[in-house]
Parts: sequence; C-alpha cells; structure tokens
Amino acid sequence: MKRPRLSLREQPLPGGQPLAFGTGLAIALFVGTLLLLGAGHDPLRIYSRMFDASLGDPDAWAITLNRAVPLGLAGLAVAIAGSMGLWNIGAEGQIMAGAIGAAWVARIGGDWPGLVLITMMLVAAIGGGGILALGPAVARAKLGVNEIITTLMLNEVAIRLVQWLIHGPWKDPDSFNFPLAPMLPDQARLPTLFSRAHFGLLIAAAVIIIASVAVRYTAWGYELRIAGSSESTARYSGISLPKKVLTVLVLSGAVAGLAGGVELAGTADRLTETISNGFGFAGIIVAALALMRPSGVAAVALLFGAVQIGGQSIQTLGVSSSVSTILQAFVLFGAIGAGVFSRYRVTLDSGPASTPEEAKS
Amino acid sequence: MNEASLIGLLFATVSFGALLYLAALGELLAEKAGVLNLGVEGMMAIGAVTAFIAGVEFQNPWLALIIAMLSGALLASVHGFFTVGLGAEQVVSGLSLTILGLGLAAYLGKGYVGLPPGAELVPVEWGRLSDLPWVGPILFNQAPIVYLALLSGIAVSLILSSTRLGLALRAAGESASSTDSAGHSVLGLRLAAVAAGGALAGASGAYLTLSITPQWAEGVTAGRGWIAVALVIFGAWRPSRVGWGALLFGGTLALKPRLQTFGVDFSPIILSMLPYILTLLILLIISVQARKRPSPAPAALGLAYRREER
Amino acid sequence: MTQPSSPADSGQLSVELTDIWKTFPGVVANAGVGLAVRRRSIHALLGENGAGKSTLMNILAGVYHPDSGEVKIHGLSHQFRNPADALSAGVGMVHQEFRLIPSFSVAENIVLGSAPSIINNRQVENDVADMARKYGLKVDPAQPLWQLSMGERQKVEILKVLWRDAQVLILDEPTTVLTPSEVDELGEILRRMADDGRSIIFISHKLHEVSGICDEATVLRQGETVAGSLDMATTAQDELARLMVGAAPAIAARPAAATPGKPLLELQNLSAIGDRGVNAFSDVSFRIHAGEIVGIAGVAGNGQRELADVIAGLRLSNNGTLIMDGTDITAVSAHRRFQSGLAYIPEDRLGVGLAPRLSITDNAILRVYRQQRRGPFIVAEKALSYCADLVKRFGVRSGDPDGPIAALSGGNLQRLLVGRELDGKPSVVVASQPTRGLDVQGVKAIQDLLLDQRNSGAAVMMISEDLDELLTLTDRLLVMEGGVIRGEFDPRTVSRHEVGMAMLSDTQPSSQS
Repeated sequence: MKRPRLSLREQPLPGGQPLAFGTGLAIALFVGTLLLLGAGHDPLRIYSRMFDASLGDPDAWAITLNRAVPLGLAGLAVAIAGSMGLWNIGAEGQIMAGAIGAAWVARIGGDWPGLVLITMMLVAAIGGGGILALGPAVARAKLGVNEIITTLMLNEVAIRLVQWLIHGPWKDPDSFNFPLAPMLPDQARLPTLFSRAHFGLLIAAAVIIIASVAVRYTAWGYELRIAGSSESTARYSGISLPKKVLTVLVLSGAVAGLAGGVELAGTADRLTETISNGFGFAGIIVAALALMRPSGVAAVALLFGAVQIGGQSIQTLGVSSSVSTILQAFVLFGAIGAGVFSRYRVTLDSGPASTPEEAKS
Repeated sequence: MNEASLIGLLFATVSFGALLYLAALGELLAEKAGVLNLGVEGMMAIGAVTAFIAGVEFQNPWLALIIAMLSGALLASVHGFFTVGLGAEQVVSGLSLTILGLGLAAYLGKGYVGLPPGAELVPVEWGRLSDLPWVGPILFNQAPIVYLALLSGIAVSLILSSTRLGLALRAAGESASSTDSAGHSVLGLRLAAVAAGGALAGASGAYLTLSITPQWAEGVTAGRGWIAVALVIFGAWRPSRVGWGALLFGGTLALKPRLQTFGVDFSPIILSMLPYILTLLILLIISVQARKRPSPAPAALGLAYRREER
Repeated sequence: MTQPSSPADSGQLSVELTDIWKTFPGVVANAGVGLAVRRRSIHALLGENGAGKSTLMNILAGVYHPDSGEVKIHGLSHQFRNPADALSAGVGMVHQEFRLIPSFSVAENIVLGSAPSIINNRQVENDVADMARKYGLKVDPAQPLWQLSMGERQKVEILKVLWRDAQVLILDEPTTVLTPSEVDELGEILRRMADDGRSIIFISHKLHEVSGICDEATVLRQGETVAGSLDMATTAQDELARLMVGAAPAIAARPAAATPGKPLLELQNLSAIGDRGVNAFSDVSFRIHAGEIVGIAGVAGNGQRELADVIAGLRLSNNGTLIMDGTDITAVSAHRRFQSGLAYIPEDRLGVGLAPRLSITDNAILRVYRQQRRGPFIVAEKALSYCADLVKRFGVRSGDPDGPIAALSGGNLQRLLVGRELDGKPSVVVASQPTRGLDVQGVKAIQDLLLDQRNSGAAVMMISEDLDELLTLTDRLLVMEGGVIRGEFDPRTVSRHEVGMAMLSDTQPSSQS
C-alpha cells in the first residue's frame, strides 16, 4: 500500500518563509471570507476597512507600528533564545515584569526630569525581564531543567504579581477603590515621532538591528549559532555551554522586559493587568515565523501588527473581535503548514525504509 | 468560620478539582504519547461554548456534554494534524491552538452571551449517602460530571497501566522508533491520544457552562487550562497523583473568593500563584532526582517522529 | 530459483537465502549472497565490517527489501514488507542498538507489540519469568529496565524475540556488550534454544567466541559468500581468519619510510569510562613520534573512539597521564589542546566536527574565528577569504559559501573538516575513521593529506577499521581489542593474517573457558 510520507528536501524551497507567511495569509483570508459571509457581512468591505485601518494612511501606520513594537521586541526575545535552540515561552511574563520595573521607577522618580526618568524606567524594565528569566536560566544551565515549562509557569506568576500590585500596594488612592494603578507622570511618556507613533519604534528598531548584527556578525553570535546547531560541535570548539545558556536566556528575558517598559511608557497610561495583552505569546509565533532569525523578526512583527490592528478596526463595523482572533490563528496554522512543506516534500512510499547510513556492515 | 462555609469550601474544592482533573487527564494522555499540547485553554473554551450552545438548542445536558467532547477532540486534532502529521513544532502549534480555540469560542458564542442556560447538569442524588453529615453535601451532592471525572481518572489509569493500548501509547511517548519496530503505529497512537485529550478538555469546559457557572461569557475558562498543564507535571505524569494535585489546586481556586469571608488576611491573588510555584518546585525536585533515576517525563515528549530520520 | 534443493534437504533447513542482491547509493552491500541455516543449529555469520552481514540479516528480518533474490523460511518463500511480517513468519532479530524503553519494566519491554488486549501484570510477569527460566535467562520481569546492565538488557531483547515465538533468531554482534563470563553464559542459552528446535544466526567477527558456540559458519567478504556452512568442528580458526580477511592484496605504492623524531604524544597508563559506565579502555600506553603515522587497528567498539575523544580532551580520563611535546595536558581543556597544536578529526563529522545547520563559511572558521575578530565582530571578508582558501587548497567542491554545510557530499564535508583541522600546522593529528564512507578519490585525498602531515614532521594517530588502509599508510600498527592494546606490529613485515588474528581473537586468558 502506498502511503504519503514527508521527506526532507535537500534545500528548503527558495523564499520558503515569505511564501509560508503568504500562504497562511491567503488561507486566513479564505476562511475569513467564509466566516464573514456566514455572519452576513460583505467581505470586500471588511477587508478594505482592515487595510485602511492598518496601513491606509500615516495615522493607521502609526497605530500598526505601535503594535509592531512590542510584537517585534517579544519576537526578538524568543528568537535570541531560539538561535541557540532554547524556547523562551515566558516572554509574556517577562513583559509584565519589565512593566512592573518601569512602573516602579515612575513611582519613585515622579519628579525626575523626563530623559532621566524614561531612561531609568527602561533600564528597570530590562532588569525586571532579566530577573524573571534568571530562574529558568540557572535551572536550565545548572540542572538541565526544561526551560519551556519553567518560563511558562512564571508567566502565570508574573500576571498575578501585577494583579496583586494594582489591587494592593500600588492601588491609586484616587481611584475610588477601583483596582487601578495611578496614571504615569507626563514626563514618563515616550515622545511621539509622527501621528501617534511613539519613540519606542526607534528603540525597538535599534535593538532588533543590534541583536541581528550581534547574532549574525559577532563572535558571540557565532558561538550562539554553533551551540544552537550542535552542542557537541560547540564543546569540540571550546565553547562553554552553561555560560551561554545562562546569558542567552537572561538576555532574552531582558529584551522582553524592555518590550514591557516601552509599552508602558509608549501606549499605556498606567500599569494594568492587560499590559502585555498576549504580546509574549504572539512573540513566540512571530519568532517561529521568522525561523528564529532576529533579522526576520521586524518584518513579521509589522505584518502581524497590521493583521491585529486591522482585525480590531472592523469591530466598529459590527464584526466580532473574535473574527480577527480566528484570522490570526489561521495565518499561524497556514504558515506553520506551509513552512513544513517548504522544508519537506510529500512522497508516496511503500515498504521498509532503507538508508545507506544503516548499511555499515 | 462556620460549618456551612467550610462545607461550601470543600464542596467547591471537589468541583474545581474535578474541572481541573478532566483537563489535566486529557493533557496527560497526549503527553504520555509524546505530544505536548499547550492548547488546553482553547480546547476548554470550545468545550464550554459548544456545551452551552447545544444546551440552549437541544435542552439536553448529556447531548451537550457529548457535543462538547467531540468539539474538543476535533480542535485537538488540528494540533494533531500539524504536530504529529506534519511534524511542526509542538510549542508553536499548541499556542496557536489556544488562540484559535479562544477566537472560535468567542465567535460561536456571540449570540449566546447572557442567555439563560438551556440545560444544566443537576447534582446527583445518592439517596441516604447524600444525607450523611459532611460527606454527603461535599461528595454526594455533586454534578454528575464530577463522578465522570473520577471514573475517567480510574479509566485512564487502568488503560495506561494494564492494556495493550496503554502500553503502546506510553511506548510512543518514550521512544517512537522502539514503538514503530514493535509494530505499533506511532502516528495513530499519538493522533488518538491528542484527540482523546481534547475530548477530556472539552468535557472540562462543558462542566463550566453546564454546571459551575451555567452561562456563557468570553474568558470563562480564566486561565484554568494553564493550571491543567502545570498539574500534569505536578503529578509527575501519574493519573492518581494528578488527581490529588487537582484537589489541591482546586482548593486554591475554591479558597480564593472565600479568604475574606473567612477573615484571613492573605491576598487571594498571591494564593492563586501557589499552583505554579508548587509546580516549579516539583520540577526542580524531579530534575535533581533525575541524576539517580530517569525523569518521570515521557522521554520523547515534544519530539516529532519521522521514520527516515535516524 | 537458482538452486533447487532436494525435499529432504529443505525439510532440514530453516533459512535459505539465495542470490540476494542489495545496493545502496554508491555501495553494493550484498552481491548475490547465499545462506543456508539448519534447524536446531547455531550458525555463525562471519565477516569484517562492511562485508554485508548486517545488510543481509536486515533483509532476512524484514527491515530492508532485497533488490533481488529469494528468502525462504522453512521451505516457504517470503517477501517481507516490514519486521512485523518477518516476525509472523518466525524470524526475529536482536539488533546491536537495543530497542528498549528505559522507564518500562522488563516484562513491559518484552510484551510491547504482542501484548494481550488486557494485561494482567502479574500474569505477564509470571509468564515472562517462566520463559526466562526455561532458557536459563536470569532476569527479574518486574525490574525497571534502566537498572539493568547491558548484558541483562540483551537477555531482555532475546526474550522479546522468544516471546513472539520466533523460530529463527538473529543476533547482531551480541558479544560486544558482554563480559567474558557473560559470553559463556550466552553460549549456553543459545544452545538451549537450539535444542528446543530453533535456529540461531550469530553475527560476529570474534573467531574464538564463535568456535565455542556455533555449529556451522558462513563467511562473507565484500558482499559475497566466500564459504558457506562450514562445519566448525573440523575447520581451523586460521582457515576462518584467512577466509574473512582474504589473501593479502597487492600493496599499493607505499610511502617512503618515515624518519621519526622526538616523541610528540605520549600516553601513560591512560584509562577512561565509556558511555555504558564501564571502562572503555584501560591502561593504554604508547608514544607517537614526530614524523610517523601510528595506526590503531581493531573492530569498532573496542575503545578506539573513546581513546580519540580522551586525547582530544572531549572525554575525561580517570587514570593515567597524557603528555604532548613534553607537557602534561591531562587536565587541559579541548580548546587549549587545539591551540597548542593538537588537531582532531572526529568520527562523527556532521554533529561533532561540523555544525549541520550552519553555512560552509561558518563551519570553515570554527577553529580560527577567534583570530578573525575586530572588536566583537568576526570580519566577514576574512572569514570568506579563509573559507575560499580552504575550499581551493583542499579541493572541496562546494557551491555557495553561504549555503548550508549539510548540502555537501560526504567526501567534500570531510575535505573541509580535515583541511580546517590541518590548516593550523598541528604537531599532533588524531584522525578517527577519517576515510570511512568516502569514495575512492575522497579516500586518496584524505590519506595524502595525512601523509603530508607526517612528512612535515607531525605525529599522526589514525584509527581505522580498514586494515588494508592501515597496512599501506602507517609506520607502526597497534591493535586494540577490549579496551586494551593487544600488540604492536611493523606494517611493512607483518602479514594481514597475523594482525587479523590479534584483532579478532581475544588473547586474554580469562575469556578462555
């Protein structure tokens, strides 16, 4: 009996990843059309609205870019770890830890000059994310504890930490007993670049470029990629693995923390429990679609941001926000599937496998 | 703290425990076969919404439960197709499944927000047992799904420990190539385990909207899917230990809204961190012990299997 | 059908393989092999590495399809599609790499794949215990597998095959994981199974073990049967050894004699633990001088790989001293050793020597990237030109230097790896199986590179399973067996046969029962 089977292509299809993303988008549009028709909407009108709201004019671009900032930084955080074959599932929590750090600086430094305050907020954000990643990093480097689960668990701890702060110690005394943190002081806000696009865009772009260059062109990044490709090869060439694991995971957390700080100072008025808004999880997907390459993160984050913003905009047309969530999921699964097919081909096969490797004696 | 409120606490502990246990058992099945499914939250949401809709439309709670389980299995099969069939990264696919499940649930349930339930799973009457002091109101006055959860736990435990299917399923999670060479279909076993896991998560979601809070609202699952993922590790992949863990974690869920009425000056939010912190501790203990004996985690967990590769 | 056999004959035969052909890309593994195994007998299948033994047995066990030829079991012709087919025809194989699950109990491992729908654990454990007792296999069915020694695990594998009631059992190199006393025990167990009416095929290249255990022997060489069903009782070991290794081939142009200088590498009583927790090699002492190639001959799995890893600094020694050019380097890191002039060509090219997911350039600079830095950066032009230089000088046929290394062929991978290791003008070169799996030109190129090293004054250690290669290339030959150096030979004067006997036969008195 012939059965379909996947076999590795010698070379991935050229342009496989953009193709994968495009395929995912196409599948999502198709499914979305069905969903919209099912709900009695005019798909063309909806889609043009989505486009207008996300990429139609400078104002729309500004909102999309503001969204792409946390997505890109979170994606970068995951991709840095991923370059070494590590999974940082904890970006969501690290973003919140970063936001906590930044909010704490804003509390104690309310009368500092803006530049100092914002700088210190971002430093604290980086520290917050790094500290949250430190535990999983040490556990992985010293004990070999799987970082997927430890980082995942700390997400849930971090979000509760935020909840606890805004329900308790950091509750705004003027909030009429609502669980709200106080508004940030005005000088703690990131300046805007154009329309509503804030300065975080430049920060994110700079960090992504620096990280891409570091991973691609420095000796440090080279060692990272060697270790990600084969631990034995790393040991063979004298690279210390535990040290690398530790620094890379902490750095990954620090970048995610920065995303939290930038989000707080850029778009939020105050620390809320939705400050991360799923950016950490979306970051994993952004990084995966960028094949864990820091250099690919920016483009994916921009497209993904546009999909999210476009999806939100159609709520004003009476389309449920869930349609946009479903569309995102279909972009993902479409891209995952297309990504697999760009690396593997389907062959019809029967009978036992025989590989030359096994023909040794 | 009076007797009634203590009984209320223990009653809620058991029902939340059952809720978590169902979802965790599902995750345990998938992980035992070697597939990490981080989409539990999404599968629970789908179970919750389809159960509620079916209840409204058909007025039959049992039919609603079955539909929820089928929906959960169907959604889980998406994960199965991508990870087992195509060998995609399990972490990425599982998180995407959560997004898909939450989105689909919200989409499907849009017209049902705030509606009164069409069907509810009413507590089972156990005759004289239900009249016993303490034990009666806590254990013998629960919704039928609680007893189903217990039965599922026993069934999963027996299937895994003493059937041909269970042996093959565990083998698939330990070493795909050994299982393959023993003549079992790794693909079939893993797909089945993932789908069955989805059905259990769907049942867990159905319990929410058919009994615990019989109405539909977005976000009704409230992150409990993640607790289920944690529970599997906390229980070291053993159905019985996962069951005790479910009661413990269920207790924190039950205690959370009651802390204040009990006059305990402790933040309910900090309390709700407990399951995750305990799970982290257990993980550390497991990994220290792993130097002396094999970790209880399925050895092939998270690894895709393709026959040609090595 | 090529050889019609008389009905009386076929009634006696449990396995008949006729004119089996099997080709893998670039390799003819079986070229018309035949094999006949009598019922109630233990049949040795002998041959050097690469003779085609495992391929033939994998065909018999349903793992591979033959390109042509006939497989008959108990007189009936079969075409197996998979191992399950072969098992249902009564053929079971115990592979060299065990297919066991560490966290399962012994009994669970045994019944996996052929368990009843409902498993009564106690019942199954009793049944397994009964079966084990019947054949004299001492295992505790309830014990978790990870607690078992390699010898005990092998018993579990044998029981697994017996549990499926295989009438024909194939054991692939079963003694490599056993201690001498366990080997004797295995012989008794196999005899009991044969007396029970089963046939056993025993793949080996250790003559002394085979002669004590087996009734008949078939010898393969280079994919062909050179002698079928020899009676072990009347065939001398010398004769078997001659059949296995063949007549001495015409020696290829020998390189000029070496003029050894001072000792550059010296091992003093070196020992190390292997992955299995027992000593991989012990008390190994030898010297390699400047300007000579010393060959390490031996069958794979006798401690050579671990020895190379220890010298390179990738595995810790637990005893002894390692001296390089007068300096004790026993506790020095792998990287330091490389820096002080020790090059290592590992057996596992793609996975230890090279990083499979990275580009050709990235792999080329693995040893020199630290010197190609400007600030934190690796200077791209330096890396590219270094890579281009290596590619050109060592004849690597490659396309895009930014393309993935895994796209290169085996020969080109090895040229790049060897070139990179030799580029730093090392004083000591350790090469583990440097020519294995390469085509003719590839083998020649790598051998020439190693000779060049020798001629320019380096001390070269070469581990190989190819005796002909070692005899032509090396200046001195050490034979390693069972983790111990069994002898030193002068490759110019020694006969192939003599070395073969040292490699194959265990001279340890304790193992002679």
